[in-house]
Amino acid sequence: MAVSSGKIGYLCSLVPEEIILAAGMKPVRIKGEAEATSDADSYLYHNLCPYIKNIMSTALAGQVRYLDGIVFARSCDGMRRMYDAWKSYMGMGLVYMLEVPKNTDERAVSYFASQLKDFALNLGGAFRKHITPASLRTAIQTTGQLRRSMQRIFALQQSATLPVAGSDLFKTGLGALGEDRGDALKRIDELYQQARTASAIRSNSRKVRILVSGNVMDRSDLFEIVEAAGAEIPAADLCTGLRYFSRNVDVAEDDPYLALAQAYLNEPHCSRTASPVQRAQELQKLVETYSIDGVLLTSLKFCDQHLYDVPYITRVLADKNIPVLFLENDYTFTNKGQMKVRIEAFIEVLSERGN
Amino acid sequence: MLKKFYEDMAKVLETQYEQRPRAFTKINIELAKSFVDAFKEDAKVIWTSYYSFPMELLAAFDVAPFDFEVATNLLPMLDADGSVQIMSRAEEEGYSTDLCSFHRLAMGCQLLGYMPRADLLLSSSYFCDGKARINQILAGYYGKEALTLDIPNRIDKESMAYVIEQLKYIAHRIEEVAGQKLDPERLRESVSASGLARKAYIRLAEIQKEKPFPWNGSTAVNMSIFGNLMAGRPVQERLYQELVDECRGKLDSGKVPPEQYRVLWLAWFPPQPTNITEIFRKNGVNIVMGELERAFWDEMDDRHPWESMALWSLKNPYVGPIEQRLNGIMQSIEEYDIDGVIHFSSDACRHSCAAHRLIADALQKMNVPFMVLEGDMSDKRKYSEDRTRFLLESFIDVMAGRK
Repeated sequence: MAVSSGKIGYLCSLVPEEIILAAGMKPVRIKGEAEATSDADSYLYHNLCPYIKNIMSTALAGQVRYLDGIVFARSCDGMRRMYDAWKSYMGMGLVYMLEVPKNTDERAVSYFASQLKDFALNLGGAFRKHITPASLRTAIQTTGQLRRSMQRIFALQQSATLPVAGSDLFKTGLGALGEDRGDALKRIDELYQQARTASAIRSNSRKVRILVSGNVMDRSDLFEIVEAAGAEIPAADLCTGLRYFSRNVDVAEDDPYLALAQAYLNEPHCSRTASPVQRAQELQKLVETYSIDGVLLTSLKFCDQHLYDVPYITRVLADKNIPVLFLENDYTFTNKGQMKVRIEAFIEVLSERGN
Repeated sequence: MLKKFYEDMAKVLETQYEQRPRAFTKINIELAKSFVDAFKEDAKVIWTSYYSFPMELLAAFDVAPFDFEVATNLLPMLDADGSVQIMSRAEEEGYSTDLCSFHRLAMGCQLLGYMPRADLLLSSSYFCDGKARINQILAGYYGKEALTLDIPNRIDKESMAYVIEQLKYIAHRIEEVAGQKLDPERLRESVSASGLARKAYIRLAEIQKEKPFPWNGSTAVNMSIFGNLMAGRPVQERLYQELVDECRGKLDSGKVPPEQYRVLWLAWFPPQPTNITEIFRKNGVNIVMGELERAFWDEMDDRHPWESMALWSLKNPYVGPIEQRLNGIMQSIEEYDIDGVIHFSSDACRHSCAAHRLIADALQKMNVPFMVLEGDMSDKRKYSEDRTRFLLESFIDVMAGRK
């Protein structure tokens, strides 16, 4: 057997990394590293989300061999099929499918808690680790500390003068999902100190403020286009942004699995865990909280969860006089040129509304 | 618009039935009338999915079930161009053409005000993400509640309990909407009726093993979807038995056309007009079984109605890991003496299409020819007759080469 790296990959924010940490292992949110995904087409389907295909291509290229195992979530149809393909075509110590309920009520939370226990048992069994309630509580505290540190910056981002560029905040968050928790905490705390200093400086010029909302984003291209066009991004409602870091797990709850289940299934929601009606309401709240001028909805191509929501959410926000721009992306942002033109036009419209 | 369509459909079918009484015509009359009922002022209209929600539960109430996918996707059968216009209304609203044509058509009908009222909207987490999503969006437009019956990927004590709890909660919500308490005896009768219908359905599946295949394969595939409208009512068993008797009569008469090739059909058969049936007829090809047509669920136990309904959901080939689907495919190949397997791939059926490779590899091991036939269920803009002809004729050549 190959030398163990102690690293467990996961693919969806609905996988509680606390359980992996509690096993004394390192959770790594897997990113797609491939520039082209044609080899994944022969294993999956050409009209499948480019994130999934990119992960598959990355794996086919042998770039995730360092992992001891991988955890899928029953998050969408594409993930279910990738799990099937992974089991059949990729060798790995542990390939686990975590059952994540589609609903978020008490029944779903209770069922999810039972599935998290099953995951802990399987993970522990595969690597001869014993996950105890105490080790899980410690992991919840460690992750909670990281999230709370990020939340302090989110709070500062609500001020009229943005203390941290959206792209910097996004990249710091993204980095934290792949690195040692101690190092990540240090970097976030440094950013917080910079943010505090910057927030004390008042500026008379107000930039257009854009909320970015979408699904998985592992590259900062979109942020850079928006910022280069003269606007700023106080918040990013993404799987790898606000939604990951805004989650709070109740460490005082007697059953830590139940605490995790409650936290992961409840707010902040994604399109997987909330109806479009709820999503539209939550976006309106973010617009108010961060004094947003316009919403940039973005989705991976072929992501049904998001693509179905877009017209409904756009209509609801438009009824509230909140401008929306929708842009599909292919995960690697090969269509940057087209995006730039549309984003610049959107910002111009928002600027004129503000004047 | 839809109400008139179903009323006309029911009238035409009733005339047909009078002239030539056939069980399948009667099933279609049941379908058309159920849609007409959904437009009645005093009806308690429950939107649902016949093929993925245990209809036995609804049969235990005095409600009008309405499946928006089936209801709207009957339109392309008669008017493919008009259906494109309706879909275009949804596309104008922002629904991408990358999304399922079934759902664009349903959404177009909603935006044009063609749909009946909804008092409660039910769906299930399978077959696809889109179905539950569009159900929630429609609920948003109607200001009504959408409930998703969440079906886990695995069958064990926890998942059974979870599904049963959800079914009981949904029953409670139906009670409130219908203004009627659930009668446990009526539910037991409903599950019992469904159990008897399953036995008749299995008899039908048995007769489909006969050579030559005695009825219309694409009809049989589609009936596995909308026949479930009747689940929980005695009419289902009666009509399925009539189908068995009709098939037996045809075989006994010796008038069934000879067949050359026996095909297993995967995924759905498109409701829109296609040249598939014509090509098959000309070449002696019969679809003798569909993967969704197989009786995948266990015997219904009326002493345990909730468990029976939960298992019906959990055992669907499109739930669970791919093995659940592959096992059914392999079983059908063996039981029906299959010459070739065709997967109809509608681009937006990602849950189904993304398993092509796994299915192809499994069938290669069995040395059974396999073809992916790309097309679309209801959008004629995404269906090519020439391409279909080319692909199917090539596949028939492959099957011929093995005879």
